[in-house]
Amino acid sequence: MRRARKACPFCEGRVHYVDYKDDRTLGRYITDHGKILPSRLSGVCARHQRQLAVAIKRARYLALVPYMRGHQGAA
Amino acid sequence: MSRLYEAVYIFDSTLEDAAIQERIARHHALLHTTEEIKVDHWGRRQLAYKIGRRETGYYVLARFSCEAGVLPEFERGLKLDEGVVRYLITLHEHELGAPPMTEEELAAARRREEEDEDEE
Repeated sequence: MRRARKACPFCEGRVHYVDYKDDRTLGRYITDHGKILPSRLSGVCARHQRQLAVAIKRARYLALVPYMRGHQGAA
Repeated sequence: MSRLYEAVYIFDSTLEDAAIQERIARHHALLHTTEEIKVDHWGRRQLAYKIGRRETGYYVLARFSCEAGVLPEFERGLKLDEGVVRYLITLHEHELGAPPMTEEELAAARRREEEDEDEE
């Protein structure tokens, strides 16, 4: 598995816990279909990727982040 | 043993602000907590997807500490209130961003990073 070249942005920003309310940051870690970006693409370390996944699922429940984006039929 | 909780409420955006304030106060009264409850109004926001027929919601963030036994009753009140479209109560055990990873942890992480790169 190619080692992620760039350091984990959360470790860089010294974030201790990924906040589910911060939808601007979370929005950067979902694909344009709304799926969670895998850590091999986003370069996030395992610890923060687990927190990120939980945070995104909570944000989705609170309609801060979409479950699915850009689908033809209106949900 | 009272613990620190964090709750996000989504209110029906058709309600006026005063009605929302009153409902929040009524719900928080059920918590029987002596400490002060921090309430932060995010206001009306566009929802990422439609909930029922609603496109917008009035978001409120609340942080409080209370006994665990009080929560079922508190949640029941929230469920009964039609004005509350959705709510999420989480245990607030992590302070956001603080305490940041100490210098050594960061240096260790960087050292591990360098070692991995040398292996290739």
